[in-house]
Amino acid sequence: MTYKFIGKRIKRNEDPRLLTGQALFVDDVDIPGMLHVAFLRSDYAHARILSIDIEEARQRPGVVAIYTAEDMGDDWEPGPPLVSPPPTLEGVIFNSRRQAPLAKGKVFHAGEAVVAVVAESRYIAEDAVEDIWVDYESLPVVVDLEKAMESDSPLVHDDLDTNLAAHMFQKKGDYESAREQADLIIQKKFYLDRGAAVAMENRGIVAHWDEKSQHMTIWDTTQAPIPIRNGTAARLGLSEKQVRVIAPFLGGGFGPKAMMFYPEEMLLPWLSMKHCRPMKWIEDRRENFYATTSERQQVHEVEIALTKDGRVLGLSDDFLHDTGAFDPYGLTIPLNTQCHVTGPYDIQNIASNCTAVFTNKPIVTPVRGAGRPQGVFVIERMLDFAAKELGMDLLELRKKNLIPPDAFPYDKEIIDQAFAKFVMDSGNYLPVVEKAREMIGYDQFIKEEQPRLRAEGKYVGIGITPFIETTGVGPYEGARVQIEPTGKVNVATGIGTQGQGHFTSFAQIVSEQLGVAVSDVNLVSGDTAQFHWGTGTFASRGAVVAGSAVLAAATAVRSKVLKLASKVLEAPEEELEFENGTVRVADIPRQSISLGELAALANPLRGAVEPGSEPGLEATDYFGPAYGATAFGVHAMIIEIDPETMMIEFKRYITVEDCGTVLNPLILEGQIHGGVSMGIGNAYYEKMHFDESGQLLNASLADYLIVTAHEMPNRIEIGHMETRSPFNELGTKGVGEAGAIPVPACFTQALENAFQDFDLEILETPLSPNRLFELLQREEHEE
Amino acid sequence: MKLEGEFTFSGPRERVWDIIRDPDILATALPGTKKLDLVGENEYEGEMQVRIGPVAGTFGGKLIVSNEVAPESLTLTVEGKGKVGFLKGSGDIVLSDQGEDATLMKYSGEVQIGGRVASVGQRLFDTVSKSMIKQGLDKLNEAL
Amino acid sequence: MTKLFKLSLTVNGNPYERQIEPRLLLSDFLRHELGMTGTHVGCEHGVCGACTVLLNGDPVRSCLMFAVQAHGHEVLTVEGLGTIDDLHPIQQAFWEAHGLQCGFCTPGFLTTLVPFLEENPDPSEEEIRVAISGNLCRCTGYQHIVEAVQLAAEKMRA
Repeated sequence: MTYKFIGKRIKRNEDPRLLTGQALFVDDVDIPGMLHVAFLRSDYAHARILSIDIEEARQRPGVVAIYTAEDMGDDWEPGPPLVSPPPTLEGVIFNSRRQAPLAKGKVFHAGEAVVAVVAESRYIAEDAVEDIWVDYESLPVVVDLEKAMESDSPLVHDDLDTNLAAHMFQKKGDYESAREQADLIIQKKFYLDRGAAVAMENRGIVAHWDEKSQHMTIWDTTQAPIPIRNGTAARLGLSEKQVRVIAPFLGGGFGPKAMMFYPEEMLLPWLSMKHCRPMKWIEDRRENFYATTSERQQVHEVEIALTKDGRVLGLSDDFLHDTGAFDPYGLTIPLNTQCHVTGPYDIQNIASNCTAVFTNKPIVTPVRGAGRPQGVFVIERMLDFAAKELGMDLLELRKKNLIPPDAFPYDKEIIDQAFAKFVMDSGNYLPVVEKAREMIGYDQFIKEEQPRLRAEGKYVGIGITPFIETTGVGPYEGARVQIEPTGKVNVATGIGTQGQGHFTSFAQIVSEQLGVAVSDVNLVSGDTAQFHWGTGTFASRGAVVAGSAVLAAATAVRSKVLKLASKVLEAPEEELEFENGTVRVADIPRQSISLGELAALANPLRGAVEPGSEPGLEATDYFGPAYGATAFGVHAMIIEIDPETMMIEFKRYITVEDCGTVLNPLILEGQIHGGVSMGIGNAYYEKMHFDESGQLLNASLADYLIVTAHEMPNRIEIGHMETRSPFNELGTKGVGEAGAIPVPACFTQALENAFQDFDLEILETPLSPNRLFELLQREEHEE
Repeated sequence: MKLEGEFTFSGPRERVWDIIRDPDILATALPGTKKLDLVGENEYEGEMQVRIGPVAGTFGGKLIVSNEVAPESLTLTVEGKGKVGFLKGSGDIVLSDQGEDATLMKYSGEVQIGGRVASVGQRLFDTVSKSMIKQGLDKLNEAL
Repeated sequence: MTKLFKLSLTVNGNPYERQIEPRLLLSDFLRHELGMTGTHVGCEHGVCGACTVLLNGDPVRSCLMFAVQAHGHEVLTVEGLGTIDDLHPIQQAFWEAHGLQCGFCTPGFLTTLVPFLEENPDPSEEEIRVAISGNLCRCTGYQHIVEAVQLAAEKMRA
């Protein structure tokens, strides 16, 4: 298919405002009379609250009010369950325990909000927090996943018998019989740890209840403004029409901003109504480490069964998943892990047993990747070990097991995060693998370069890792497209935007239909007053689902335009074409009319309109896919490790992506670069260090290290392949998380490859220079 | 977190023992101590001003002496709380003669910290606690 | 109540005078007293670089400075670089090279780069990476930022 706008490197509509400091972020909202909120948060990971003394704080000039859970009276109630366990999954156990607006009686993780202070300024509010004295009785703390499931473990929630948050078993085929037929069985145990999302903008909320108009406006750093509006209305006993939620420009999302309801999201609107004044709370960086969700801790016990020629017969995975102190987000992450643990491979016998575990740690919800990197790490590690045991080339082993192109749509028979069967829509994997192999020069590196460099005393290694990414899941999104009399086009959609370039990529979709310049399309996203149906930006679904809805609405407007233009220009619709903001008769370019004029004609001030006709050139439409669109890719890297410092240099970094139709290559590249940077952090620099009493020991950007320009490869080389998704008209698949997903797996493979002489076996992620040093020391000592 | 170390006093063991069992002297030796009162048998209550990197604040708490074998060994248990966090720990102290006029003190214990001192001050806690112990012991040695 | 301090300074070429608390941070002063919200605060402890502004031409972390320290000095923020219709060459280059995604860290990068490119009109890639190593970006992976700086240098040399 040839496009005029889609697939072009078009610079972004939103950038001039962002570049000049003129874009509105939540903390930029300033309303006269606004009050400021600060929270006293628990120092303890698990403790009983014996008493709270707020007297001194109350006396401080400028303090307006102070609230504890008790002060909220009947309005105190925990947040709603955001995602229930899949009803499509048999025998699932799920213990729902939800976060409260303020801790009542007990705290369950360090950083839980205990007291809210309302004051005339943030400075005063923070001073007053220091005036408050809370007496806690510390309780035994549960941190380690395996210990948490031992029978004598302390309990996070003592109304439960164990720390089990959820249990679910999924299978395909019959693993036990596959095991019996296998020539080779490998068992391993993997430890994966937690990392933070670290959006550069912390969270924040401004809530403004206007008593006179009986209307609530909320600016919220959320990835899901519409569910926030609906939930807020329900909590406050308001009609949905009385609440407007705006997610303005967001300084990054990466998943945690899709969590709801955060305690602060429950409190701020309530406080604003209570005081009839606007309220602002802006999270600080330390709060962000505790009070914003994070992810990735799991322990996997895995077994893989293979034939001696390297065919994978089956995989069994028994894993623990850390959900933190509460589980409002349900099972999205472990469901993703279950879907990705067999990757792009045709494995007919799968047994996947998941136990989600409560711990006294901050709440776990998706972070870019959302359970996928864990699944990919596990399968790719297992294949690495299998290749070694079988004496096979690790890429040959993988190629042997890829799902063949004629097997699509391919049913994994596992329930996915959308509660649908995980059906992979399309793919042609082998050419993508071959392209990556060629780009990185795999064979030449192994045969010539590596031995030569090793002889020079250099530790260089190669990693090459295929992966899948489930994207574009339902339920649905919608969009409204309208041509203004000025000829400019307005688009509104419900999802929020956090830097993904929707203002431009969605505009390109509209331009393709209406022939207007991309810069003439003005998108509003994430304002419930503009569009109030939808779910949000997560699961790499924006471009696929909302993009498809934009296409549907733009197509509907296009037919309205054609119909009207045909009448005005007295020419059949088939002879009309869209060009530069006008509609013209194909062979007679002079016979044309601008879209703006047509829009004016479609909205007359006098005269009769035909019965059944709608005013204006506007249409609203929706898109809801039955299944997601599964993207595929391969990452490959060559790294050199300094054996003294264990610091890494990326000599090459290749990605080959197949995400179907590319809307804007510039934006796509940006998404991949950013994903890789997060993946590198996840692999080697970023880890949330909790001690055994549940204290996070690196809750600042001075101690929690996200990658800088120095740790990145100088050049990420990107190759494309395109297998259009048959499940949406654009043929596109999501790519938002792809960059991050395979990096830990690929990096670990490259490390082992570089240290072949040491017989290093890596069973954990993330690593760090220190940790790698320890592992190598251990190897040396054992030898 | 583990704390471990040793220190040589230039005085006989009985003298050293007397000094570490004297709250007034102890209070002057512990850096930042605002007060230290004997409130029961072998139980002290006090206040201490602590600075760990960017985090500074007052801790209030208890110090309990147990397992006392004079003039040889004892166990110290501390529990303190403040607006910047909390601290809990216990440690064993063993004195032994080191020749005629010197005494070797060995100490080992475990400390747990929480709150802001942990999340922001962690990286410095080890160094700060070591230097505080060193300062304190030097002071006690001077008192000899 | 703390005694207020009468602060006068120049921001983006315009003189300002305000009565402020001595403890008010420069970042909060710019954002909330002057309403210049282009300067962003990402970590409040001087690591992320989002709040970088120029003080008499040198990059400083406005979250680590009190506003009173800028008394009598000249501050330049992102709002003082270019306008939507007339972008500074560095802003233009960031736009063309897709050097930003969410745009939150961008003002700090831009202000850091202004004096850098004045002193280094033709920087090597390594020099660029050193120059921006004190600014954190979670979206771009820095590659497009580095390319944007190269492009900006080219534009400014022309």
